[in-house]
Amino acid sequence: MFDDLDPKDFEETAREVMEACAATDDLAARASTLAEAGLLGVIAPEAVGGLGLPARFAVPILEAAGAGLLAFPLIEAMLLSEALAHAHPEMASALVSGETIATIAWLGTEADGIVAGAPRGEGAEHLLVFRADGSAVLTETAGLSAQLSDQLDTDFASATLRLAGPLTGLELSPDAVATLKDNAQILRAAFIAGSTASCLKQACDLAQDRVQFGRLLSSYQALRHRLARDLLALETMRMGVTRALSNPGEAAPMARRAAWLGAARMGPACAESAIQVFGGMGFTWEVPLHRHLRQMRTLAIQGQAAASVSALAETLISGSSNQWYEEVPDVV
Amino acid sequence: MTTAPKDPGAYGAMARTWLQQNLTGNLRTDRVHETPATLDELKAFEAAMHRAGLAGITWPKAYGGHGLTLREHLEANREIGLAPAPNAVNSIGKELAGPIIQAVGTEEQKLEYLPKILTMENVWCQGFSEPGAGSDLAALRTRADRTSDGWVVNGQKIWTSGASKSQRCLLLARTGVKEDRHKGLVLFAVPMDTPGIDTREIRSIEGHRHFCEVFFNDVVVDEANMLGAPDEGWSAATRVLSIERASNRMYRSWRFESELDHLITACRSDARTYAILQGYARDLAEVRIEIELLKGHVETLVEALLAGEEIGPSGSLPKLYWSEAHQKFARIAAEIVARFPTDAGQPLLDAKARMEAIYLASRAETIYAGTTEIQLDIIAKRILNLKKAA
Ligand SMILES: Cc1cc2nc3c(=O)[nH]c(=O)nc-3n(C[C@H](O)[C@H](O)[C@H](O)COP(=O)(O)OP(=O)(O)OC[C@H]3O[C@@H](n4cnc5c(N)ncnc54)[C@H](O)[C@@H]3O)c2cc1C
Repeated sequence: MFDDLDPKDFEETAREVMEACAATDDLAARASTLAEAGLLGVIAPEAVGGLGLPARFAVPILEAAGAGLLAFPLIEAMLLSEALAHAHPEMASALVSGETIATIAWLGTEADGIVAGAPRGEGAEHLLVFRADGSAVLTETAGLSAQLSDQLDTDFASATLRLAGPLTGLELSPDAVATLKDNAQILRAAFIAGSTASCLKQACDLAQDRVQFGRLLSSYQALRHRLARDLLALETMRMGVTRALSNPGEAAPMARRAAWLGAARMGPACAESAIQVFGGMGFTWEVPLHRHLRQMRTLAIQGQAAASVSALAETLISGSSNQWYEEVPDVV
Repeated sequence: MTTAPKDPGAYGAMARTWLQQNLTGNLRTDRVHETPATLDELKAFEAAMHRAGLAGITWPKAYGGHGLTLREHLEANREIGLAPAPNAVNSIGKELAGPIIQAVGTEEQKLEYLPKILTMENVWCQGFSEPGAGSDLAALRTRADRTSDGWVVNGQKIWTSGASKSQRCLLLARTGVKEDRHKGLVLFAVPMDTPGIDTREIRSIEGHRHFCEVFFNDVVVDEANMLGAPDEGWSAATRVLSIERASNRMYRSWRFESELDHLITACRSDARTYAILQGYARDLAEVRIEIELLKGHVETLVEALLAGEEIGPSGSLPKLYWSEAHQKFARIAAEIVARFPTDAGQPLLDAKARMEAIYLASRAETIYAGTTEIQLDIIAKRILNLKKAA
């Protein structure tokens, strides 16, 4: 299936679209630019106007978005159009066509009365809010007061929203929410890989341009090795994403988790590394490396990477299923 | 001999069942309290693995292999990795000499050398490094001169793993002068019982006597034992080496996972050691993530090789990644077992001995098969193409 199409076919288009999006301040204009190129609905079913392609086709688009610092809830659009396609096809269609913009409050639940980490929460018309029972509700943002969640988050401008009592709107079941969160891991990892690739490219370009002590910076082994390590990190992330999407059977849940947690850890480290390679220039507002750092940290926070590592730690020491060590007595 | 089963996972299931029945007693690396397996026992086990279809999987049937693909190789290696199985005695034969012979050997050489590698009649060693030529292998000085009696080899090799227990040496020597660097290098399959070869064991940090110095004094090597033409042998060998660097011991990530499983299981056999384990849970979770990402390297590579893609310098990525990930695990594991109580039970003592051995052994992993610094140089130069001058 899809033999005539290659995810790589989307690379060029995606890059151009991200450039066009960066050239406008208008969120709705970005939505229609993305939609016209078919990028919002790439994994959404054809019935709602999507292309119905497997998730690996979203990877180059998300990489381009990460590299291009796309200030738009793209991950959310992809996840919601897929999650709503069957139960609420009109809404899914509206998201795919860019007619309406929805985002997700990744942190907090309805019961808290306040939710946070909603990318472009101030401009989106709809907001998915999680509930303590595992379900979620897609509510309208009109009338909700929004403020920036995190000073460090510039491009996504994620919002904290105060809820006015119980919410009404389209509902997602706990199963649908679990799937959405699971898929989010891979989409975020791909986004981070794009952001990392951009940082690495910028650092390599600078190192091969700037001269100190009469030699190119890229002639110094300390920097060459630093950049080589960053490439290793980038390729490790990418292979993690590829494997997670390649249907590895019973290994799938761990493969997804590792792809995501690996990206969340390595991505920001590569941005930090690129800042170091740039020297004083790296510490300026003008050089966009800090925006990549902010963007990747924001994704890590929204995906609750730190807590997720702790949860993995708990599961890990709760015992192993390796049958070779079955005979060892378990006393705890 | 086994033939390829059609449904995915079946080959792995076959391997698992075989291991359950045959990997027993002192062959298991998690039973350190038993008398260690002898070299003969290990060789017999490895030969049996081959007969059962767990080794020589991708080699042509004409040369004693099973004629299957890297996919079955990967499936079997997942199971080999998850099991506490010993490392291969003849990995140089199977994963280095064998593939090189398949690439550059004559038909006679293939028929002569390859089956005996799999049956364990011939264990091979790799005579590349020299006292003055380690990372800078092209500086090697061991000479091979063509005479009317055949080639005459003079020189010294060092760090030659398993040389004192091997029947054949994959020897890299020089036909011209040292200044020729990569030119004029020639590869031989040298019988280790040839007069003039003197092998001296070197004690490693683990206390074992496994790697050796090998001296060649007017060693006469038959023309028929030359692999490829002079020069050609080396260039073909480097191609093979880059694939091998990336794909050898394919079970590694699953073995690392198995070591981690062993450590956790053992710690859970005593409330006191479980309390210690809890303090390291987050560090171990980070390691577990790295092990899983290493599987991504391996499986992506297998797909690329199956699709006929060139590997080239990208083999440095998994080498660098696995060696450092394993060292990180080993360091944490060694710290945990060092805190085990003095009256710890047998499961804990077994795990302790295994983790201590892994800790020391892992120190070599960033040195052999190209040091970390050399891998980083390769990545910077040949993958990132970073300029050194404007
Ligand atoms: C357990 C073990 C088994 C081995 N088995 C075999 C075997 O079977 N057959 C065989 O032929 N060889 C074998 N080797 C040898 C191995 O390949 C060499 O040790 C390795 O290539 C490094 O060479 P060296 O020891 O001479 O160190 P050197 O090359 O002298 O390196 C010393 C240090 O300098 C660094 N260095 C070197 N060059 C550079 C550079 N350009 N830039 C920055 N840093 C640099 C290295 O990274 C290292 O840290 C084995 C080694 C070990 C430890």
